Amino acid sequence: MSFRIMPKAAVPDWITWLRSRYRVVGPRQLKDQFVFDEINSPDELSLDYPTSILPPKKYLLPPTEELFQFTTKGMHTKASLEPRPTVIMGVHTCDMHAIQLLDRVHNTGYADQHYQARRQNTYLVSIECLNPCTEHSFCKDMGTLSVPENFDLHLTDLGDEYGVDIGSEKGEELLRGFASVWDPTEEDYRHVNQVMAEKWPRFSYRFNFDVTELPDLLALSTKSSYWNELGDLCLGCGMCTKVCPTCYCFNVKDEVDLSLTEGHRVRIWDSCQVDEFALVAGGHNFRSTRALRQRHRFFRKGKYQLEAYGLIGCVGCGRCAAACLVHITPVKTFNELYRRHKQGEAVEAQS
Amino acid sequence: MSPKPTVAFFEFTSCEGCQLTVVDSLQDHPELLDAIDIVQFREAMSEKSDSYQIAFIEGSCTRPSDEAKIRAIREKAAIVVALGACAHLGGINAIRNRSDMQEVREYVYGDKANWFPTYEPRPISAIIKVDAVLPGCPIDRNELVKAVTHLLQGRMPQIPDQPMCIECKLKENVCVYTQGKVCLGPITLAGCDAICPTYGDGCEGCRGTISNPNFQSLREVMLEHGVSEEEIESRLTMFMTNQILAMAKAQ
Repeated sequence: MSFRIMPKAAVPDWITWLRSRYRVVGPRQLKDQFVFDEINSPDELSLDYPTSILPPKKYLLPPTEELFQFTTKGMHTKASLEPRPTVIMGVHTCDMHAIQLLDRVHNTGYADQHYQARRQNTYLVSIECLNPCTEHSFCKDMGTLSVPENFDLHLTDLGDEYGVDIGSEKGEELLRGFASVWDPTEEDYRHVNQVMAEKWPRFSYRFNFDVTELPDLLALSTKSSYWNELGDLCLGCGMCTKVCPTCYCFNVKDEVDLSLTEGHRVRIWDSCQVDEFALVAGGHNFRSTRALRQRHRFFRKGKYQLEAYGLIGCVGCGRCAAACLVHITPVKTFNELYRRHKQGEAVEAQS
Repeated sequence: MSPKPTVAFFEFTSCEGCQLTVVDSLQDHPELLDAIDIVQFREAMSEKSDSYQIAFIEGSCTRPSDEAKIRAIREKAAIVVALGACAHLGGINAIRNRSDMQEVREYVYGDKANWFPTYEPRPISAIIKVDAVLPGCPIDRNELVKAVTHLLQGRMPQIPDQPMCIECKLKENVCVYTQGKVCLGPITLAGCDAICPTYGDGCEGCRGTISNPNFQSLREVMLEHGVSEEEIESRLTMFMTNQILAMAKAQ
């Protein structure tokens, strides 16, 4: 829509100003890592954070979310649908791509009311990534190093200022009446172009193949012995799915009080990596081994979601790779499948 | 409203900390007393009735003479719940199962060793059918309230078969392995709200394992983090001695 400049010195005032109107959440330091959390004073916000333990997804799809309350006498229900208007500050471009996927998933078929209500009350302020965030990220391979057009505001660090792209009416709302933003000069535009041009070489490609080949590579790897090797290695701890910005599977539970008269229905994040996820009535488990569960996870990220929603299910944030205690990573897994596939082709050519 | 279910508490070899947690839960949730009728609870009251529908048993079975008492409870109660790590797994009492029983008795009782016919500590489920388990050392009070609610609804309390890492990550704890500590979270049953890592310590596995724990892989994780073989064994046999011994025997 339009482009403005905000001096960094004005950010604390802006945050304070926003806080008087919205709940403001953003990256905040916790020990030597960062979490998205409510920002109570501007100095808590760390916009130059590397990555966060959980993605900002948690404000659109909370780990535990009350869906409705009920009473058992008369069977009354009351939907829990009153999210607070929330500004999420400092969302990285990979997470913006993830939110794009979540938006599509929760708006396809039966639109998810609770997700929609939160999403409509959420203001996304993303930030351009100018350097690789951690050793685990592979956003350049996944094509998520640029922001998709779902931001309300998008910040670019220009040294003493932020370039502020306004992407929506909601984005304009976040600046309306705030004085310390101005129109860019020719020099500002040159500066932005320079910053954007210089960032790309800092990121490297880590896949040994082009990402457009990934769905086919997986299709050809269904029976690979590599899945059993991953199954032997995998702890089944489920951390990879908890930290993933595109995982959205949930379980639904009814909880009642001790008098059995009142209760609520909640949904909680589930994980395809735990034993009971695919356990069905009668005791059959249709993904009974860790090997099958790991395969399912990688197929979902690299193939199934693309087929179902037109967007690839992995955004290259590297959180799962960082969390995994046995070093199972998408980059290593996909490269190894590619190597074995090539090796197989070579053996076939020789025979 | 149907009459309140009658509930009794029993203890075998244990520290009684789980029953203390029950008493503590009654302070947090006095409505528990509106929901159930406690008819026997030596630690908390002097009244005593031998007619009960639900029995909570704390402690492990550590001597042959315990068995008849445990069977008697089973005969009276419609539902038996194992309360805490000792009743569920054998608990830390089972650490002695790594040693020769006669040596253990002599170490503890000296020249009176033969006066005490103790044997390998075992979970209550080794003696009788147990309908449900509340794991942990001690039990989690929220889980107790949830279990009672389930029983009131006519459902069996169920502990989700998920590893502790799931709860720990949801709380956005910084993984204790990155803080130079050892943790059994990847194989331990969740439900404690990851209390130990939340306060900066590694999980000791008091809740027992998920249904298919990957011990081998976890051993390698610990080795990679500089934990000695001896320390690994000592960690794994703090609460899981019986399981580790059974696995070694099966090999």
